[in-house]
Amino acid sequence: MGEVIVVTSGKGGVGKTTTTANVGTGLAMLDKKVVLIDTDIGLRNLDVVMGLENRIVYNLVDVIEGNCRIRNALIKDKRYPNLYLLPSAQTRDKNAVKPEQMKKLADELKEEFDYILMDCPAGIEQGFHNAIAGADRALVITTPEVSAVRDADRIIGLLEANEIDETYLIVNRLRMDMVKRGDMMSSEDVTEILAVDLIGVVPDDENIVISTNQGEPLVGSDSQAGTAYMNIARRLLGEEVPFLDLNAKSSFFSRLFGKNKKI
Amino acid sequence: MKSVNNDVIIKGNKYGIIVVLNPDISFNELKEQVAEKFRESSKFFEDAKMALSFEGRDLNNEEEKEILDIIENNTDMKIVCIIDNDPKKEELFKKSLEEKLMELENNTGQFYKGILRSGASLEFESSVVIIGDVNNGARVVSKGNIIVLGALKGNAFAGACGNTNAFVVALDMQPTQIRIADTIARSPDKPVKNDVKEPKIAFLEDGNIYIEPLNKDVLNDIRL
Repeated sequence: MGEVIVVTSGKGGVGKTTTTANVGTGLAMLDKKVVLIDTDIGLRNLDVVMGLENRIVYNLVDVIEGNCRIRNALIKDKRYPNLYLLPSAQTRDKNAVKPEQMKKLADELKEEFDYILMDCPAGIEQGFHNAIAGADRALVITTPEVSAVRDADRIIGLLEANEIDETYLIVNRLRMDMVKRGDMMSSEDVTEILAVDLIGVVPDDENIVISTNQGEPLVGSDSQAGTAYMNIARRLLGEEVPFLDLNAKSSFFSRLFGKNKKI
Repeated sequence: MKSVNNDVIIKGNKYGIIVVLNPDISFNELKEQVAEKFRESSKFFEDAKMALSFEGRDLNNEEEKEILDIIENNTDMKIVCIIDNDPKKEELFKKSLEEKLMELENNTGQFYKGILRSGASLEFESSVVIIGDVNNGARVVSKGNIIVLGALKGNAFAGACGNTNAFVVALDMQPTQIRIADTIARSPDKPVKNDVKEPKIAFLEDGNIYIEPLNKDVLNDIRL
C-alpha cells in the first residue's frame, strides 16, 4: 500500500514543481515505484521540468472524466522505469476536478505505487483542495522570505484543519552568504516561526535553473541542490541523514581535497 | 369628582400591576385613595402574587413602604417585588450590572492550546490564555484580557466590549496590531533595534497603548 505526499506552499514560485520532480526522481532512484501527479490544471509544467512534455496524450482530467484508463495517461520517465508522471490538462481549469475524485484516484494509485507525489498549485482555492484530498503527508515548501513564510504558515493551518498532521518543511533557495550577513532568515528562524519538522534545506543553486530548462532533475548529482534533494528523499524513507553543511562549498581547501563528500 | 376618581389608577401588564398615582394631591389623601381603590378590587385580585410598580409620582422609600402596607392590609395580595420605573435608577442598575459582567469577563478565562496560524481567528467571551504562538495574520479577540504564552505576532484585541482596563501579555511581544477597547496601536514601521525578547504587557493609559516589560510595578497596577 503506497503513500500520498502532497507538495505545497501557498505562495507561487518557491519551488513546488522543482521539488516534486527532484524528490520524486530521488525516490525512484532509491528503487521505489513513484508516480508524480501534476494537479495544477490549466498551468501545466511538471511535464516540462521532467522533460516529458512531448509524450503527453491523455491527462489527469481525461482520467477523472473516464475518457481513458489511468495506465493510458501515465507517462514513463526517460531515465527511470519505475517513475511515472500523470500530467495535468492545459485546456481546462481547477473546477474540472473535485476533491472526492482526486481522493479516489489517489486510492487507486496507492495499490500499485509506493509513493504518489501531488504537485499542488499555488493558492488555497479549489486546486489546493483537490491536491490535498487524498494526502497522507505534506511537504511544505518555503523560501526564506517573509511573504513565503507567511503563506506557508497559512497552508500549514489549512492542512491541520484538513487533518493532515504529518507535515514537513523544506526551506528552499537558502543563501548562506546572505544568512551570515544577517540579510536573510536562516532555516532555524523559519522553523521557529512555523513550528513544524524540517526535512530539508535546499541551497540556492544555479544548476537548478539549468536542470529545469533541460528537463532533467538534478537530484543525485554532485551539486549541492542535487545532494539536498536526495537527502530529502532518503529522509522521507525514514533514513537518518545529517543536514548539509552549506558552508563547506566556500572553502577552497575542502573542495580541493574532496572532504565534503560526506554530505 | 366623586363619580370617577382618577387619583389612583390600577393598570395590569404581563408581569404584574402598575399603580398610577396622582402627583398633585397630598400624601395623606393619596393613602386614603389607595386604601379605597384596593379594598374595592380585593375580590378581583384575591391572593394573587404580583410584581408591582408605581408611576406618576416620585415616592421616597418611606412613602413607598407605607403604601405597600396599605395595599397588603386591604387585600390578600402578595407583593413579590417592586419594579422601579425610574429611568435614573434603571441607568444605575444597568451600569452596575454591566460592570459586574465586565468584571466577570476579566476574572474568568479559558485556555487555548495550539498555534494560531495565519488566517486563524478566535473570539472569546472571557479572558484567554493561549499556550502557543499567535502568528502573523492570525487574530485573537477577547472581551477580557489576552495572555499569550508564546510569541504574539498577529493581531490581538482585548476588552472587545469597551473594557479599558483590559491588557495583553505575551512572552515574545511583536504584534502587528494591538487593540484595547477603542484604541488601536500598530507595530513600528521599522523593527526596533536591540529589542530584548522578554515578557511584555500592553495596556491602555490616557488613550494610548503602552508596551512595557512585565515587572512587579506594572503587575501591581493591573486592575481586574
